[in-house]
Amino acid sequence: MRGGCTKAAAARFAGEARSRGVVRMVCLGDVLAFGAQPTEPQVRVINDETARIGRWLPDTFIGFCALNPRLGERAVMREVERCVGGLGFRGIKLEISNNAREPCMKPVMRAAEKWGVPVLQHTWSMTNIRKRNLHSDPEDTAALARRHPNVQVIMAHLTGCGYRGVLEAKGVDNLVVDTSGGYPEAAILDFALEHLGADHVVYGSDLPIRETAITLARITGTAMSADERAKILYGNARRILKL
Amino acid sequence: MLIDSNVHLGPWPFNLVPAFTARALAARLRENGIGRAIVAPTAAILAPDPGPANRALFAAVASVPALLPLPVVNPALRNWSEQLEAAASSPLRAAKLYPNYHNYRLESPRLDAFFAAALSGRVRLVVSARVEDDRHRYFGLKVTMVPAKSVGAFLGRHPRLHPLILGLGLPDIRAIAPGHANFSTDTSFIEWRNALADLVREIPARRILFGSHTPFFVTQSGVAQLAASRLTAAAAAAIGGGNAARFFEL
Repeated sequence: MRGGCTKAAAARFAGEARSRGVVRMVCLGDVLAFGAQPTEPQVRVINDETARIGRWLPDTFIGFCALNPRLGERAVMREVERCVGGLGFRGIKLEISNNAREPCMKPVMRAAEKWGVPVLQHTWSMTNIRKRNLHSDPEDTAALARRHPNVQVIMAHLTGCGYRGVLEAKGVDNLVVDTSGGYPEAAILDFALEHLGADHVVYGSDLPIRETAITLARITGTAMSADERAKILYGNARRILKL
Repeated sequence: MLIDSNVHLGPWPFNLVPAFTARALAARLRENGIGRAIVAPTAAILAPDPGPANRALFAAVASVPALLPLPVVNPALRNWSEQLEAAASSPLRAAKLYPNYHNYRLESPRLDAFFAAALSGRVRLVVSARVEDDRHRYFGLKVTMVPAKSVGAFLGRHPRLHPLILGLGLPDIRAIAPGHANFSTDTSFIEWRNALADLVREIPARRILFGSHTPFFVTQSGVAQLAASRLTAAAAAAIGGGNAARFFEL
């Protein structure tokens, strides 16, 4: 959600999504509201807003805890305990404060393991972007998942990860890829199904950036079995989020 | 049934989309509610001369009436008048340009003669501003989108032309539209939430044509966007087919 999200706006998003058949949504606060390096108080502001949206529509929104791993172990542990332990968040969301290979990720992953929640890591191929000091390439996110096999990692943005990203994720049991991000490019979801299997793909809308009708049609417009589609659209998320 | 103004036929080396036959492509489009499509040959994008790919396209769609072949012209080649003549004699009387792949700037003075000839010959022009998302194109391919500034300069230099410009995003249109009304565009890269509703605030619906960008994009996604848009029925119908019928005189 963008910063300053009102109750009416949250209800509108929920209503639009519901009209397309989306009944539960992982809600991420405005993780870039304060830039790539939010301070500890700024991280709390982001997460407080997520919590507020979740309280407005508790049957729809599931909060994920934003973190800046570079703030260090104490700050990370405090915020995860506050959000997951106190506010009922069900996961951790990491944006572009650091690369997923950095040592500062260790406390994040320890916290995730301790609380039994997944880590959603923003991921995009850095081949043409070259900001790998802050962004995570699929190779980095896959390495993170391999280093922490007891933590469920969600690698965001299938299209941005590309074919190479799918191959990076192959064989990493505790890693799933989400379908959010980018234009609805053909063939990449087919490739993910072939190499990762439907158990390792989850639907992501990227609301409010992307249009839900388009992102859903990426799934429904790709040839797959009903069982595979069910896993991608809700089965895997239900398992990961313990719904 | 929709008319799709942005479709390609043929394999592309930088993705793993299965190569459709003309019949299979028409079937894919039909199952998504697209009755007719303006189809360009993918092979012409990277070819040194688009002629052979154009001829292959015409042969491939000859028995598939739903696919209307749109030949590619490279006006930077010495034989541009020959290419343009061939385009003028094609059923659509239209030519498709790929400036970024064919290494020229639309606004370049060296193309003035070409555009004057297209105008006097009443050849419709379709310009592809973008085929792929620049962020994850093949690492060895240094082709980027035709910049909005270049499109604007082109439209300003040739005010009597009214090209269809494919692949623009909403920010591009916001940059171009205030200064230029002599163009139409398609929906393929207009992807953000409620973006079609935003688009008709930038340019009139009569200048917007439905484009799925099949097979690069999931066909159903483009169709779903139009179906889910908050446009009036009249605007949706115009975008879905009426405008293409008018532009191409179908």
